[in-house]
Amino acid sequence: METIGIWIAALLTLGIFSFLYKDNPFYKFCESLFVGVSAGYWFVTTFWQVFMPKLADNLVAGRFYYIIGAIFGVMMLLRLIPKIGWISRWSLALVVGTTAGLYFTRYLVSNGMVQVQYTIISLYVKGNLSQTIGNLVIVIGTFSGLIYFFFSKEHKGAFGGLAKLGIWFLMLSFGASFGYTVMSRMSLLIGRMDFLLGTWLGLIR
Amino acid sequence: MRRQLPILIVFVSGIFMIIQYFIPHESFEFIYEYAMDWIIIIGIFAMLLGLWSLTRASVSKVQTKAPGWGYSVMTLAGLVAMIFLGVYKGNQSIAEGTSFMDIFWNIYTPIQATMFALLAFYIASAAYRAFRARTVMSTILLVTALVIMLRLIPLGPLSGINQTLASWILTVPNMAAKRAIWIGIGLGATATCLKIIFGIERAYMGKD
Amino acid sequence: MRKKNLKIFLILTFFCFLILPLSQILAQVDTLPPATPTEVRAGDTPNDNGHSITVTWKLSADDGAGRKDVVAYEILRSESPAGEFVVRGMVPAGNNTYQDRGAKEKEDKNYFPPHHDFYYKVRAKTLKSYSESEVAGPATAYGQWFHIGKLPVFVGTLAFTIMVLTFIGLARKGKELYVRPLAGIDAVDDAIGRATEMGRPILYILGLGTAADIATIASLTILNRIAKKTAEHKTKIIVPCMDPIVMSVAQETVKAGYLDAGRPDMYQEENIFYITSMQFAYVAAVNGIMLREKTATNFYLGKFYAESLILAETGSVAGSIQISGTDEIAQIPFFVAATDFTLIGEELYAASAYLGREPLLLGALKAQDLAKAIVMISLALGAFAASFHLDFFLRLFSVQM
Repeated sequence: METIGIWIAALLTLGIFSFLYKDNPFYKFCESLFVGVSAGYWFVTTFWQVFMPKLADNLVAGRFYYIIGAIFGVMMLLRLIPKIGWISRWSLALVVGTTAGLYFTRYLVSNGMVQVQYTIISLYVKGNLSQTIGNLVIVIGTFSGLIYFFFSKEHKGAFGGLAKLGIWFLMLSFGASFGYTVMSRMSLLIGRMDFLLGTWLGLIR
Repeated sequence: MRRQLPILIVFVSGIFMIIQYFIPHESFEFIYEYAMDWIIIIGIFAMLLGLWSLTRASVSKVQTKAPGWGYSVMTLAGLVAMIFLGVYKGNQSIAEGTSFMDIFWNIYTPIQATMFALLAFYIASAAYRAFRARTVMSTILLVTALVIMLRLIPLGPLSGINQTLASWILTVPNMAAKRAIWIGIGLGATATCLKIIFGIERAYMGKD
Repeated sequence: MRKKNLKIFLILTFFCFLILPLSQILAQVDTLPPATPTEVRAGDTPNDNGHSITVTWKLSADDGAGRKDVVAYEILRSESPAGEFVVRGMVPAGNNTYQDRGAKEKEDKNYFPPHHDFYYKVRAKTLKSYSESEVAGPATAYGQWFHIGKLPVFVGTLAFTIMVLTFIGLARKGKELYVRPLAGIDAVDDAIGRATEMGRPILYILGLGTAADIATIASLTILNRIAKKTAEHKTKIIVPCMDPIVMSVAQETVKAGYLDAGRPDMYQEENIFYITSMQFAYVAAVNGIMLREKTATNFYLGKFYAESLILAETGSVAGSIQISGTDEIAQIPFFVAATDFTLIGEELYAASAYLGREPLLLGALKAQDLAKAIVMISLALGAFAASFHLDFFLRLFSVQM
């Protein structure tokens, strides 16, 4: 049984890799099977791990406030009936409004105020030249990066010069992120090669 | 009424969620927890809409014998099989060792891992196209990426210098740029939230 | 020889008699109780939901000083000063604070009732003995209606909201609002025109977020504008979705776009569809769509993760013009490398204002810029204050989450 499983996994692996050459029936078969299986897996796990504990168990335990959630959920399904499909907008409104309110303070604090707090650092550290330079670079880099994202003024003259410095900092950061990720992506490929050549074909141990 | 009521719901729920952030009292905590759970429950019901969309599209292709309809049969077969195998024994259907989990481990997991592994090829092809030192910006991108990539490779006498430089790049200028992006995103997202709550941005509500 | 052995025996016997009482004295010293903790105070924990009391005390004199044998403190609680005290928790030596907290649900066995008097004692413990403080109390827990620690955030919230509403008010009055050009936005019209000329569809990917992600909502507002343009050009737009709620909102959004363009009959709901909610299965299907439908223009706007590069590279192979935008910092480098135009971070949120050019949206953009200017001034002033150790100013920026 395990051998059959390994063979199926290996053939599907090769099917996906064949996409690197070009789109082909083997890849299309793997893709369509993947979509169907994944949608079914997601539905089943959501049903047992989310629906049952969040709704069914709470209603059985007498927490009837959850009926309100169920009512909004049923309103969502009314989209399938064209004449009264507009009722689903009430559920969408609850989702969108709650999200907007929740993330308003989250983004303001964690992306705004906390980042400003951490960037307020001394520009001169006595006896530590490297940290002084580092702090200067951080403050200048953050400042020029923000200049780049300023929408109200065209990037010309001194302002444009600062914005250019800002985009250089951004490019440096993007290059660093790119280089940082290469090794981890290679290790994913090594993992699949290990499976194909080791587990499936037994050529490497 | 059809458009006003949803906008009112957005406003009330949005304002409530902002206010509850500042109020630690348990009465607000309870309503916050219920609201978050209601969102999850709406998502669960919406799941049926998703399955309906997928099924309808696949069945339609099969019925009309559209090009590639055979693949839609595979999609439907996978979907139906997983749902049946996942519910017919109750919540024991998804325990380890069941057919449901066998399909997950032998079909879903290898395909997912392989899709992830494609990134190794794509990152190389993207680097080949992007890292051509034609402009100052692409030169900075190229040089920085090289310094960071090579930090784990033994380079003889240059290893120490490269690692120090890589470490400095990651902790200083990289951090500065990220802070600028984070602050910008924070302000942009916060403004978007306000626009949604006050009904200035309402395209997502649709029209009749 | 015998005399020598007798001498050794007598010396050993003497030492045994000396060590025995010495060890007993030492053993008695070990069991001596430590100095009691003093100044025990118990009071409501501030800025909480009303199910916690904080106990503080002055460290025992034998904690880190004196006999230095205190190893921990136990905190005991009772419902009356003379009642039975039960242990509520323990902290290591050197600590002089403990937060006694419990559940807020009455059916939970660890329920902590608010508005109920409790009495506390603190026990200093050594390895073999302990001593207890005086009883402190009564202490009552109650919930607060405002978190004082979040005052800076409250001020920031009010300030930003006032800024946004003010600029929107100015925009309503017809004030001219300039915004600089953005390459990614300027390319949208050309990209849609290209698709129209080639007779090929446009692919719009909303990302892998749900309707509970602000980036996805921002992308939906952009989709509305792009749908309107595609309707005007009579070009097909395909929107495969990963989340059913996002699919529902996208259908409403695109339909509204077609209505705005005066082409409601052209709207086809089957072009906005759900695939699956699993990351790489969704990507595999979208890759197939790109190559089989031969899309001329691809938009990737929203929340993306590791799959961003797979999408962008496949689109590149298919020969599509690609415009991307995300607030996921980790994915921006890949979009910059692999797509033709990238909206970086905040530019994604500004895009709907750029595309629609509606005064109200441009007004909100101006407020963002003003907030950014305030941030830059704060950074400059803050760096100056930090360099000269002006702590009062630095405390203004201390944020409690």
